[in-house]
Amino acid sequence: MNIVVCISNVPDTTTRIKFSEGNASIDTSGIQWVINPWDELSLARALELRDDPASGVKKVTVAHAGPASSEPTIRKALAIGADDAIRVNCNPSDAYYTAGQLAAAIGKEGFDVIICGIESSDFNGSAVGGMISEFIGIPSVSSVSGLNIDTGVPVITREIDGGRESVKVPVPFVAIVQKGIAKEPRIASMRGIMTARTKPIKVHEPVDYDSLTEISGFEKPAPRAACKFIDADDPAKLIELLQNEAKVI
Amino acid sequence: MLKQLIFIVIFIITIAVFGYTVNRLIKFFSFTRPAFPVKDFRKRFGLVMRVAFGQTKIFRRPVIGFLHALVFWGFCVIIFGSIEMVIDGLSGAEKSLRFLGPVYDVLMAAGDVFALLVGISIVIFTIRRSLLNVRRFSGEEMKPKSHIDAIVSLSLILLLMVSLILMNTGYLGFQRLSAGEIYGIYPVSTIVSDLFSGFSASQFHGLYEVSWWVHILTIFFFANYLPYSKHFHVFMSLPNVFLSRLDPPGKLDNMESITREVRMMLNPDTAFAQAPADAVPERFGVKDVVDVTWKNYFDSLSCTECGRCTSVCPANLTGKKLSPRKVMMNLRARMKEIGPLMVKNGKDYTDNRSLLRDYISEEELWACTTCNACVQECPVNINQPSLIVDMRRYLVLEEGAAPVELKSVFSNIENNGAPWQYPPEDRLNWTKNLEFEIPVFSELPAGKKPEYLFWVGCAGAFDDRYKKVVRAFAVILNRLNVSWAVLGKEETCTGDPARRAGNEMLFQMQAMQVIEILKNYDIKKIITTCPHCFNTFRNEYPDLGGNFEVINYLQFIERSIAEGRLKVNREKMKGVKITFHDPCYLGRANNIYSEPRDIAKAISAGFTEMKRNRSFALCCGAGGSQMFKEAEKGTREIFIERTGEALETGADIIATACPFCMTMITDGLKYANREEDVRNLDIAELVAEAMEIQ
Repeated sequence: MNIVVCISNVPDTTTRIKFSEGNASIDTSGIQWVINPWDELSLARALELRDDPASGVKKVTVAHAGPASSEPTIRKALAIGADDAIRVNCNPSDAYYTAGQLAAAIGKEGFDVIICGIESSDFNGSAVGGMISEFIGIPSVSSVSGLNIDTGVPVITREIDGGRESVKVPVPFVAIVQKGIAKEPRIASMRGIMTARTKPIKVHEPVDYDSLTEISGFEKPAPRAACKFIDADDPAKLIELLQNEAKVI
Repeated sequence: MLKQLIFIVIFIITIAVFGYTVNRLIKFFSFTRPAFPVKDFRKRFGLVMRVAFGQTKIFRRPVIGFLHALVFWGFCVIIFGSIEMVIDGLSGAEKSLRFLGPVYDVLMAAGDVFALLVGISIVIFTIRRSLLNVRRFSGEEMKPKSHIDAIVSLSLILLLMVSLILMNTGYLGFQRLSAGEIYGIYPVSTIVSDLFSGFSASQFHGLYEVSWWVHILTIFFFANYLPYSKHFHVFMSLPNVFLSRLDPPGKLDNMESITREVRMMLNPDTAFAQAPADAVPERFGVKDVVDVTWKNYFDSLSCTECGRCTSVCPANLTGKKLSPRKVMMNLRARMKEIGPLMVKNGKDYTDNRSLLRDYISEEELWACTTCNACVQECPVNINQPSLIVDMRRYLVLEEGAAPVELKSVFSNIENNGAPWQYPPEDRLNWTKNLEFEIPVFSELPAGKKPEYLFWVGCAGAFDDRYKKVVRAFAVILNRLNVSWAVLGKEETCTGDPARRAGNEMLFQMQAMQVIEILKNYDIKKIITTCPHCFNTFRNEYPDLGGNFEVINYLQFIERSIAEGRLKVNREKMKGVKITFHDPCYLGRANNIYSEPRDIAKAISAGFTEMKRNRSFALCCGAGGSQMFKEAEKGTREIFIERTGEALETGADIIATACPFCMTMITDGLKYANREEDVRNLDIAELVAEAMEIQ
């Protein structure tokens, strides 16, 4: 049984995002790229399954749609423990295009479980996972918080309102996972880092897909106003500010 | 003649058994890895004179230390008599060293007196050990066997001393009554022989013969018992002191195998190539005895389980599982277990057990604050933290195993260059609203080279409380008119927290990056406020090619005050009582004790010391990457303990000189509900306040 984990290459969560080209694209200069946190946890879970002989999982592959510049992020995933990688050599522009490329590449390889993080921390589109299953024509389960595989039979848990749901699904399928999927991300061991340098990354050329959406502009939230301190002995001042400045009473 | 023959046979047996033991130990040592090369003989000789013969570290506990010193010095003197006895025994002569004349008199007299002193000390030790409840003689690792071993050793020594005095007594009495010539002077035995006034010459001779045999046979037995006992330190401690690690205690050894790897990765030509087979070690870090260095094993054989290390260990004091003594005892015990099997079946033999986990748990390892109190205390210069960190290295580098908070720290350092999640863009936020411009290297006009780099550190850049400290120091720098600048957004973590948490790879990546930035700006002198950055720059970067003059801000301020360039107003803090908490990485690690005290005393007449101060100071609990994780399970928190000690002084201000100490002491004040009346200030803030310029 083989698992493929789709990974997205996103700016580190502390990045101060800047825009360029008239606020229509992100200024990527100086950005530290990391594995999307949801995908990182997916990978951690996939590796746990592979390392557990009872699961029957033999191999974990990571798949990524993106240019050669994202290879350090793929190598990171390999260092953490993935066995090999697939990269579709393209510049993804929207979820439809990304899902199409990944589906084409993954579909060719033949996998039993495809795991996608529920969203990526850059555009938060939450669409790629579902689309991949559609493109390949296999079932998908969303908001997965637990994935177990017992000698080749997947058992899925989902957090639902006020409880938990267990889902059975035939392989192959797409699991769209939430943060609870693994307790913590794995870190790369030294051997992992060393072997990652020579693990194979298979590069696919993109297939013909259109982008169906286009980002016309970004804007940042208004900066938070400074906090005003009022003397505790002066409630009149508070009322005045609430009435005239905040205009809430 | 018969006596001589019997002696020779026994002597040969003794040597043979001892030879077997030594041979066995040499084989055990052959399983270990190389450590540092043994050089600097002059330094080592000095160390042996001070630490071994001078007993300087033993005297850190003056009363009991004095008694031990008597025993040690006694052994040093009495050994001449023992050598003579062997010569006598082999040759059939008597008092064969008597040709030494007056020297012989002195040696015999000293031996005779010391026999009494040692005997008294041993009796006191035995009573103390068996009747008084000395905390450091208990602990999880102190099994009944350890106590029996101790009592056996003490009894044997007592037997040696008693037999020596009786032997001398018999000799004196016999010579006197048979009008023979007496060689040597025996002050104690002269008095003792008076007690045997009714003895005849032959009775005295019998006493002499019996005591002689008892004494020499005890020595022979003792010599062969020791290597299998904790008391092996009688043989091992002197060489162990001679073979001491000479690096500053704050320095962790560089892992060359990682350096090779990092250099390969940073070089685009080799970044994706297979590492040459000979460059890859069998294992990173320490999992079992085959991974330790010969020095680690030597340390473990030198340990006599005195427990001084454990009695000062902040983790152990607060009920955590770690005991530095146990780490050493475990190493010795593990070698005793697997060593003979490896001798028999080869070094690759495995019994599916290991030092890590089967003897030393991860919980113990993660409790260490790397404060070096154990190193400071060990009378025979054992280094426990280096082995602890080496085991952490195994966990992280081989298994990717670390407490979850430390995993986040690794990711943060890797992704945003700080142990906390803040972007490098925010590194200059601390400079906002200062009345002067902070010079930044990247913004300086071409050709301008400031004399000093002020290394702000991650805490200075991101910790809201500590930002005030670096601001205060910037104010001082600005007032002093020195030429300085900061790196601003180009600064990144030195790697210290990663290294101490075992992530040597990340440390070296950071270090090489920092060294390159500093070299690009041709920086020669660095001033740091954070003692951890200071220690890393000063002691650890040279191994990776980063040689800079590193100055701690306390040294800088102290010098400025002493030379009159910086004036402080003594009136400003008149009557304010200040105490100082020594950061481990300034004090024990780098021997900076007087500067903070001189500064505090320059500011206020009310300087007061805590009970544990200077090299005795208790860690705040945050070192060794503890700052970034939950403390391991224990009965108390270290920071509460230390803050309590500071509060006992009745000080108005607890001065600190480290961002981590500040966090811990401030928390301690909150816990004690004393944040209203006691302030926790950094020395830089004290100075800035006394300068009346804040």
